[in-house]
Amino acid sequence: MSDITTRQVGIDLQESDDNRAIIDAIREDNPDLTVRRLPGLVKVQCPGRIVVNRETVEDKLGRDWETGEFQLAIVSCAGNFSEWDDDQIIVSWEH
Amino acid sequence: MQYELRTQVIEPRRHTFQNVIDRRGDEPASRYLEGTLDIEPRNVYHYRPTWTAEHELYDPNFTQLLLTDPYSFLDPRQYYYTPYVTNRAAHHDEFGKSLAYIEQRGLLAKMPEGWRSIVGSAVVPLRHYESGGQLVSVAGSRFAYGTSIEQCCSYASFDRIGNAQMLSRVGIALADGTSDMLQSAKIEWIEGAHLQPLRKLTEQIMVCDDWAESLLALDVTDSLLYEVVFRGLDEAALTTGGGAYSLVAQYFTAWFADQRRWLDALVKSWCTDDGHGAQNRQTLESILDRWRGRALEAVMPIAAFIDAQVDGVFAKDLLGDTHAHETDVWNTKLGAQA
Repeated sequence: MSDITTRQVGIDLQESDDNRAIIDAIREDNPDLTVRRLPGLVKVQCPGRIVVNRETVEDKLGRDWETGEFQLAIVSCAGNFSEWDDDQIIVSWEH
Repeated sequence: MQYELRTQVIEPRRHTFQNVIDRRGDEPASRYLEGTLDIEPRNVYHYRPTWTAEHELYDPNFTQLLLTDPYSFLDPRQYYYTPYVTNRAAHHDEFGKSLAYIEQRGLLAKMPEGWRSIVGSAVVPLRHYESGGQLVSVAGSRFAYGTSIEQCCSYASFDRIGNAQMLSRVGIALADGTSDMLQSAKIEWIEGAHLQPLRKLTEQIMVCDDWAESLLALDVTDSLLYEVVFRGLDEAALTTGGGAYSLVAQYFTAWFADQRRWLDALVKSWCTDDGHGAQNRQTLESILDRWRGRALEAVMPIAAFIDAQVDGVFAKDLLGDTHAHETDVWNTKLGAQA
C-alpha cells in the first residue's frame, strides 16, 4: 500500500445498541478515526481506509458475528468496499 | 421562495449515567455497562453482619481471590437481565421441541435397557447435584465483591435450576409422564453406591466458606461430569442405540460451553491482576490441589456405572483423558501469566 490516498472514506451507521459495539471495534482498529454523532446516525470517517475486523467486533459484542451482518448496520458509505470476506471488511477508494 | 433544510443537532447534556461517565468518559455506553459498573454499594453501610464481625456487609475479603478493581472483570457475554432471559428462553424452547419430538415417538422408552438405566440412575439423579450447584452459585451472588461478578453468579444459579428442570423433564418423559422416575432417581441419589462420592463432594463444596473456592470446586467437578455424562455419552449414544439421549444431552453441553466463557474470563482476571495476580495464582493452585483429586474420585464411580450398563462407551477412559486434559488447561492458565 505505497501510494495510498488519504482522501476521506466514511461509513454511516445506524445508532443502536449492537452497532455501538461495532463502532467501538472500528475505533479500536482505526486510530485516525473521527466519529460524529447525529440523531439516530453515527458517521465515522478516516483518511485512506477503514478496516472492520470480525474478531474485534465479536470481542466487543460478546457473541459470534458474521461480516455479512454489517449490512444491517450500514446506512451509507463514502468509498468502495475493496474487501469483504469472512474475517475483514475494508473500505477504501482503491479497488 | 427558497427553503434550506438543515439538521439542528441538540447535544444531550449527558450521554450516559454517572457511574459509567466516571470510568469511561461521557459517551453512549451499552446497557450492560450502565447496569453493571459500580452498582454495588461500597461504603456507608448500616452495620457489620452480626455473624461475621470482621467483615463489612459487602466485603472483598469473603474470598482469598482478590481483584484490585472488581470491574476489571466484565462478563464476555455481556448478559444483563433482558439478553440473559431472551437467550435462556430460546435455549429452553429448543430443548422443549427436541423433547416433544422424543416423546411423540416414545424414543426414550425404545432405548436399549442399558441406556434406560444410565439415564434413570446416572443422569436424572444429577438434578440434585444441580440443586447443590445452585446454592453454591447463589453464595457467589451474595458474597462476591462487584456487580460484574455477582451478576454472573446470579445467572449461573438460575441456570442450575434450569438444568435441574431439564433433567426432570427427561425423567418425566422416560416414565411416560409420571413422576415415578424422579422418585426413584432421588432414592438413587441418596442410596446408590455410584452416586455417594459425588453427593458427598457436593455437600463438601456447599459448606466451603470461601465462595470463590466453592465456585471453582464446582467448576472442576462440572468439567469432568459434563464432559463425560453429557458430551462423551452424547457421542457414544449415537453408535450404541441411545440416540434419544443424544438429542437431550446436547443442550447441557451447549450450556456448559456458555458457563465456561465467564468463568474462564474471571480466572484470567484473577491471574493477571496487577496487584494480586501472583497471590491469586498461588491461591488457585492450592484450591485445585484440594479439589481436583476429589472431583476425579467422585465422578469415577459414575463412569464405571455407565461402562457396566453399555459396552463400547468407555466412559472411564474418557474421564481419565478429560482429567489429564483439564490438568494441562489449568497449567497453561496458571503458567502463562507467571
